[in-house]
Amino acid sequence: MKWINGFYLTCIFLCATLSTSATEHERWFHAADSLFRDGNWFEASILYERSYYTSTDARGRILANLAKVEAMKEMGEFSRARRDLQRSVTFRGDDTLRKELLYQLALCAYLEGDAAGARSFLLQIEHGFEKLPGHRTFLLNGLVIIDEQRWDELKPHLDRWFQETNVTSELRDDYLHALDLLVMELGGVPSPRDPDRARMWSTFIPGTGQFYAGSAGWGVLNAFSQLAALSGFGLLVWNGYYIAGVFAGLGPFQSLYFGGIRQAGTLAEQNNKSRLDEFQTALKRFLLNVAAHQKQ
Amino acid sequence: MVTHSPQYCRMQLTAKNVVILCVIFLLFGFSNFRGNAAGSTSSCIFDTVWHKKEWQLFNDADDQKMRKEIDFILYMMGRGDLQESLFLIRSIREPGIEWQDSLHFLTGWVHYLRKDLQASAGYLLRVSPESPVYHKSAFFGAYNLAHTGNTSGAAAVLSSVEAEFGTMPYAMRHLQMSGVALLDRNFELFAQHSGGFSGHYHVMAAEERRMLQHYERLRNIPGKSPFVGGMLSAAIPGLGKIYAGKTGEGIVGFLYVAALGLTSYDFYRGSGAGHPLFILSATVTGIFYFGNIMGSAAAVRRSNNELKHEMDQRILFDMHIPLRNAFN
Repeated sequence: MKWINGFYLTCIFLCATLSTSATEHERWFHAADSLFRDGNWFEASILYERSYYTSTDARGRILANLAKVEAMKEMGEFSRARRDLQRSVTFRGDDTLRKELLYQLALCAYLEGDAAGARSFLLQIEHGFEKLPGHRTFLLNGLVIIDEQRWDELKPHLDRWFQETNVTSELRDDYLHALDLLVMELGGVPSPRDPDRARMWSTFIPGTGQFYAGSAGWGVLNAFSQLAALSGFGLLVWNGYYIAGVFAGLGPFQSLYFGGIRQAGTLAEQNNKSRLDEFQTALKRFLLNVAAHQKQ
Repeated sequence: MVTHSPQYCRMQLTAKNVVILCVIFLLFGFSNFRGNAAGSTSSCIFDTVWHKKEWQLFNDADDQKMRKEIDFILYMMGRGDLQESLFLIRSIREPGIEWQDSLHFLTGWVHYLRKDLQASAGYLLRVSPESPVYHKSAFFGAYNLAHTGNTSGAAAVLSSVEAEFGTMPYAMRHLQMSGVALLDRNFELFAQHSGGFSGHYHVMAAEERRMLQHYERLRNIPGKSPFVGGMLSAAIPGLGKIYAGKTGEGIVGFLYVAALGLTSYDFYRGSGAGHPLFILSATVTGIFYFGNIMGSAAAVRRSNNELKHEMDQRILFDMHIPLRNAFN
């Protein structure tokens, strides 16, 4: 009888002790979840961190970490979310959780603007797990390919996405055809204009560098301005104002000439960027539409 | 042998033991229910979790709970989550009197790390002399005031810092007060405090030497006059800017005014004083000429301000480093 009572008391002691420590982490996690549901991202992120802090097992920590990252993403804090996720990168437990961790790392890296970083995590997902990646991983990979301008890889990637996610062959052909049409509509893959070449053109024939860069208006304006300055110089010299001709005619001319050369290079760089942005945005929108359609 | 027999076990399943088993299950259930209930009741407002439920625990004279809370805040600060740390500190309501100093210090320190020096000074200077972090708080609070330009406030705080003769805080007070005196360009006061430089403490010996160098440099810097700068540019355009130390600007200014002047002269020579081209170019030349004079005076003022700013930054740096060395 004495031993049985001792056994019960031991049970009570252990249950009370262990259950209290287990619930502290859970309590914070539940409270954070509620705050998250109500849209209080900042407060939720603190409570998730507290859950991480009080959790004693790796699984609890990674769950808290992943949940916190959702709150951080809602706040637009991608860099900090990535930093937080890095804490759990050594986790070697549950494959599903590890895969989720790598996906979130890739997503945060992508949202932070680090496409190369995102690619490294996506490669780990692709080669580290037997199970095939899902739609969202394929989508993210596609977005990374577009960001990195690896145009040749985009179509094979889409093809693989559709094959490995059991999309019917008719639908697959439709998607790929739509992509071809879109690229044609956009005038093909944008070919960047060389800023050095634009500068060289403007050095020899004022205004042509701007034409080459794709800004005809600026080219005409610059060429006529230089012509006007030179005409002013000629007129002043013709009328005997030699010194004034040098300062009031040649002075503005040299400013317009050298400024025009610089402007041609700058315009080439700016136009390259805007053309590329437009092309990338259209392709990304296409991929997002495909993913949304797949979800349905 | 008897204890292992099934018969004996069956015999022990009495009402009393069933009650004990029920107690165990209830304990399990209650602890889980408590955990879930905390989550659900606090689901709407953060305050509910934080201020009411947690605060009740603090009120139960549970100092350990408060220490745990401060540990978590320190952990968040260590991670660089300063906004979150501030939020956590502010979420603790009505802490016991014994925690006031710690919380003021932590709040001040978070503001200091966020480079919000005005607010930092406000909190750090509330730490009482009984606190173990009193000297750190007082010196950093005074430094923050000096950095924000409130040198009189910094001097007042430093003069009230309690420090025994011959101790490190005593030497630190002299160094800080001499720095504040230099920021005010009060050389007499600096001489008084620099007399207390001992060179005995390695955390501030180099800075003591540098303070003396700053003092020498400040005393020997000749003040440049904006009026003289303007007059020099009136005599030779651009010369005032060279006087202010802006040689490049001076040469460019001279070339502009000279080119415009020559152009005006050309029009005057060719068409006379009444010709519109001469009047136009002479007007433009005049505007540039007087603009150059005004610009030269402004350049001298700017140069004086830059030098003052540079010296102030050096002094503040040499006030700051010993504090970091001594107290961190």
